[in-house]
Amino acid sequence: MATQYGIKFAIHLITNHFGNLVAKVCENLLRHGPLTLDQLIHYTELSKEQVKNSLLVLVQHNCAQAFVPEPEDDGSRLRIRTEYMALFDNIIHRLRFPKFLEIVSRKLDEECVELLDGLLRDGRLTLKQMVDRASQGKENAVATNAVREILCKLLAARFVERCPAPEPVVSTSFKETTTRKRGAKSAKIFEAPETLEQRVIFAAVPGDGIRFSLTPDTGSNVDGETNSDDAQMSVEENVEFGAEEEKILWRANFEEFIRHLRRKVLVENVRAQHDDGTATVLNAVLEATRTVERKVKMDNSVPLSLDTIVTEVMKTDTGRTMTIDRIRASLGQLGCSQRMIVDDSYSIDLKKIIERARNEEVESIVLKRYGRDAYRMFRLLSRDGDFHDTDQIAASTLVEKKEAPKLLHKLWNDNYLYMEKIPVTGARMQNTSITMWKVNKPLLWEYVLDEMYHAALNLNLRMAFEQEKDEELLNVPKDKLKEPGPLQKKYKRLLNVWLLLGSSLMKLDDALMLFHDF
Amino acid sequence: MTHLQGSSSSLKRKRQDLAIVSESLTDAERVLYNLIHSKKDMGIWTGDMKRETNLPDSIVKKCLKLLQSKNLIKDVVNIQNKGRKHYMAAEFEPSKEITGGDWYNQGRLDTEFINLVKDVCLKYIFRQKVATRDGVLEWSRKSGVFRVEVTTQQIDEILRALVLDDDIVEVKSTGFGDFSSVPVGRICYICKSKGGIRGEQKSGAMASIPCGVCPRINSCTPDGIISPRTCVYYQKWLDF
Ligand code: SF4
Repeated sequence: MATQYGIKFAIHLITNHFGNLVAKVCENLLRHGPLTLDQLIHYTELSKEQVKNSLLVLVQHNCAQAFVPEPEDDGSRLRIRTEYMALFDNIIHRLRFPKFLEIVSRKLDEECVELLDGLLRDGRLTLKQMVDRASQGKENAVATNAVREILCKLLAARFVERCPAPEPVVSTSFKETTTRKRGAKSAKIFEAPETLEQRVIFAAVPGDGIRFSLTPDTGSNVDGETNSDDAQMSVEENVEFGAEEEKILWRANFEEFIRHLRRKVLVENVRAQHDDGTATVLNAVLEATRTVERKVKMDNSVPLSLDTIVTEVMKTDTGRTMTIDRIRASLGQLGCSQRMIVDDSYSIDLKKIIERARNEEVESIVLKRYGRDAYRMFRLLSRDGDFHDTDQIAASTLVEKKEAPKLLHKLWNDNYLYMEKIPVTGARMQNTSITMWKVNKPLLWEYVLDEMYHAALNLNLRMAFEQEKDEELLNVPKDKLKEPGPLQKKYKRLLNVWLLLGSSLMKLDDALMLFHDF
Repeated sequence: MTHLQGSSSSLKRKRQDLAIVSESLTDAERVLYNLIHSKKDMGIWTGDMKRETNLPDSIVKKCLKLLQSKNLIKDVVNIQNKGRKHYMAAEFEPSKEITGGDWYNQGRLDTEFINLVKDVCLKYIFRQKVATRDGVLEWSRKSGVFRVEVTTQQIDEILRALVLDDDIVEVKSTGFGDFSSVPVGRICYICKSKGGIRGEQKSGAMASIPCGVCPRINSCTPDGIISPRTCVYYQKWLDF
């Protein structure tokens, strides 16, 4: 579920990128949940044409998805109505496009970056559109084969995927809880989708076999897995597929990028907490199980045997010198104790690493806002998650007994703590109560996330404001700005402001992902 | 503990012989003294003395003065109620309920002293790279930094506070590298900051921007009186 300021921030992004009309449609979808075209027209008070066009823009940019609710069994609903749903996560991902491009530039090459850039700008493209795009401003058209090759590289890395089905049929009644199996292999680690949004997305995604495969319906994907019955595919069929290829729409696979970013955060946090060796081990484990992961928010790493881990670690530059004992010690630091290991396979608790990083972020807010005494008290409560009474907290954290309740109340007032008064019915202490405090993490995290969206919105607004304020500067010829004087001074300030605001926003976005996507 | 450095005179005093004491006292003084003495290390509030002895206010006051001048009783600050005057027989040391515990002095948390102990402990851990609780304790006893015996509990409390300050981290020894001096699996402490200086936490994403630590964020709206356009915190932050 998107929080209140999450929605506001999403609408702000859409307004900036696509204008007010699209934003209005998007806002209604975010606030009301899935709506039919008629309902949208009613809520937005826009014309049918306007709503339709706005929806097209949203779908093109993967910010909305259409679906058809599965008719009820009694057959009373004869007319099938398409509903539209805003995809909150994808809207916020727009903020991260530079990060996505950066990953591809690090992992692949400039050609791939260019192609992905086109996909991010235009939302969805066919191969032909990609070729046209690549040919723009060039004397000779770029060969289709060349573009196809680049696309292949991106597909192999799973940075690009086939667009989802335009209007999947989705059961909206939540009674059905049986997991749908998509191949026996995946059944074990697959969990049932929870929200309607997840359900729709899940229903629309093509099976892995074709999701990352260049040629249509062959069942062979770029990983090189081939179904046996494809072997006899005739040449004519291939030609037909060529025509089909024209129609396939491609888009960036946000999920893979988020997975990448999550992995990086996991490894860097472990590095900061432990050491390079332990980070190397974690990285090797995650790399080895990359394609087996089913979802982004994996609680635990895919189990691997010690032998496999050792082999993987030795493959890396930094891990070559590590001994088996050293690797085992690192696994111990990552929380894999000998006792927990079943049938000699190690699985690392990734959720714990993420939680730790979240705690650090929240704690640093507490430190800055409420000071060191409050910081200690908050950390005490946050670490064990249990109730503690005021005196106990003061004593454990070496905080002045008179000060402690004041600080605790402040934290409680700002939603950082949960408080409960327990009446005491002792003989000597009548009508008194003991105040107990605790940190309720799920609640707190949601609250902090909302404040982060609020802060991100404010950063964006301030950026726009700064730009507006110094608008004249943008019209001044470049040479003038090079001359020393008040104009140059102003210009330099503006550059500094942009730099600071921009980098702060990217850093804040890391935190947003930490609390929402990881 | 009143203070580690200061030696308390009352501690060294030998237990007074009650009989000798009694002889030199008036009846009222004796009644009061016996009452105060019976409360041991908890002491007693003057109001309660009057209630329990039925002595008039002026007599109580006078007697207390005399008893104090004879070094038989002392006044103590009670952390539970600092406004009420408490007295205790001189031979007792105030209990924890009265003083607030080891780190209290005269009814106030002795933050200066706590910070001093924290500083030296952190410096020690920093120098050692890895230290166990017992190591810190032994060092503190040998080094003579503290003139009075430091208890295990006190060191525990200081270490816990340092952990909560995020100045040190509690870890289990891996037996490798810096840990080689500590048996595998033993709890030990390592210094988090680079220089062994307290309070070196890095700021998170929110803590480094105005809105992240803004006291008015709940009343700040895009078009309100308080807004990012009019915000004074931003003004200051972007003042290059
Ligand atoms: S814009 Fe200014 S007033 Fe508003 S939340 Fe941020 S710092 Fe506070």
